[in-house]
Amino acid sequence: MKNRFFLFVATIAAVALMTSCAKVPQANIDAANAAIDSAKTVQADIYLPGEFTALNDSMTVIMQKIEAQKSKLFKSYKAPKAKLVALRAQASQVAANAVVKKEEVKKEAEAGLVAVKQLLADDQALLKKAPRGKEGKAVLDEIKGELSVIETSITEAQTAFDGGANYMTVVDKIKAANDQLTNIKTELDDAIAKVKKR
Amino acid sequence: MKRSWIKLLLTVVFVCVILSGLGWLFIKLVPEPPMKELEEARAAISDARNHNSIIYSAKIFKESRNFYDSAMIAWKTENKRFILFRDYERVRKFAVLSEKKASEATKRTIAKANDMKANLKNDLDRLNEEVKSFEKIFSSVPLPQDMKKKNAKGKLLLKEAEIAYEKGQYVGGNVKVTEAGEYITESYEMARSKLSDYFRSYQKWQDWARVTINESKQNNSYAILVEKVPGLCHVYYNGVRKYTFDAEFGENWMGDKMSRGDDATPEGRYMITRKLANGSTKYYKALMINYPNEQDLAEFKSRIRSGVIPSNAKIGDLIEIHGEGGKGGNWTKGCIALKNSDIDTLYRLVSSGTPVTIIGSTSPLNQIMSAN
Repeated sequence: MKNRFFLFVATIAAVALMTSCAKVPQANIDAANAAIDSAKTVQADIYLPGEFTALNDSMTVIMQKIEAQKSKLFKSYKAPKAKLVALRAQASQVAANAVVKKEEVKKEAEAGLVAVKQLLADDQALLKKAPRGKEGKAVLDEIKGELSVIETSITEAQTAFDGGANYMTVVDKIKAANDQLTNIKTELDDAIAKVKKR
Repeated sequence: MKRSWIKLLLTVVFVCVILSGLGWLFIKLVPEPPMKELEEARAAISDARNHNSIIYSAKIFKESRNFYDSAMIAWKTENKRFILFRDYERVRKFAVLSEKKASEATKRTIAKANDMKANLKNDLDRLNEEVKSFEKIFSSVPLPQDMKKKNAKGKLLLKEAEIAYEKGQYVGGNVKVTEAGEYITESYEMARSKLSDYFRSYQKWQDWARVTINESKQNNSYAILVEKVPGLCHVYYNGVRKYTFDAEFGENWMGDKMSRGDDATPEGRYMITRKLANGSTKYYKALMINYPNEQDLAEFKSRIRSGVIPSNAKIGDLIEIHGEGGKGGNWTKGCIALKNSDIDTLYRLVSSGTPVTIIGSTSPLNQIMSAN
């Protein structure tokens, strides 16, 4: 009688063990989420949007798999756990890459600002060389006005750069200013050449 | 002893069979979560995100995310219940709704992005045309400096919008192009309005031009007709146009000359009073005209009386057709400047008394606008 009772208890314990021993890898989930948050903190969503979206997608897939395991009688979190570990590493890599990319864009913006300021100074110098007095005064006044608008735009770009904002928008702003300044330079060079010819 | 072992063995076998049966029954009774629907919803959301639905169809995309989150919450809640009592119907419903919304968001995003792309392209093309027209027609129109600055600001924003378009950033591009449009259109409209006001004298110009050409025909002589808007100086002989030269005027060329120092070129019917050879003028060669004539003097007095110009204003003089032109702008103090080679030709053809008629344009405004 005693033997039968022990056998029954042992069987129930074995079943209970099989159905509840696997635990949700919460620590891994938290670590992966923290790594994704860290990637966002270094603006991976801005500088590497594709990679950052892929991280979030992978996390969603893993969370689905974890929930799927929870729904089962015999749970196993081995596979999701391994994927969480890999995702954490991937998120750290994306964060590191984002820092590199941001630095690259920052350097591009920095160099662009130097170049565009130089081009502005060149245009302003050319404007001084351009024929003064009554000759072409209206045209020169118009160019002067355009240069002052572009100078304001460059100042705005510099302010955005100094504020550490999205360097990509700074690069775009500089590019637009650069194009306009190049057109003005051509216009001024032509005007000066025309006067020299005569 | 042997019997008791057999008994125990049979009991174990019996218990195992019973437990296996119960286990099988148990597994069969455990409800299955809607994995297919959940996976479809997740994939649809991912697809919508990749299409930038978060930008173009933000509301529907958010709804699909909310339904997905609700599905996950419902799933978690069900998973906390005793395994046999779980019901995943709500999870399935939320997952299906999420997938539907996400697919709709993708569909709308594609349509909207295409629309935005097309609209942005249209706006960019239209504004670039407006800028070109502005430069062709209005660049020489004397506009206030702040209005020219607005045009410059518009051009800069237009360039930024073009960069956004090239990068596929249609929302940002549309914002920039709208702002650019406001600046460009405002300066364009102001220039157009100034030009429209100027063309109120069109009928008078037509009459002057007709009379001048007829006189040339009747007298079998030369006549000069100057058009300020296209910047041309025509030479007629016997009523037939023989030459056309490019001409440059006073910086404030639009409208009649009001007083000395206003940098405006007068409009009216004049004649050559004196020919100044090379060396007698600092502008290579010159043909002086009889400005101010009697009508100019009468108009000047009338303007002083009506307060249009100050009472201490003086009427201008020394208006000439001279050389040193070809600078590509309107730069004189009110004279008409031609290239030296052109003034050479003109100087040879005309003499004192040759009529000189200065008007805005022989073509109507709509023709000028449509031609550009």
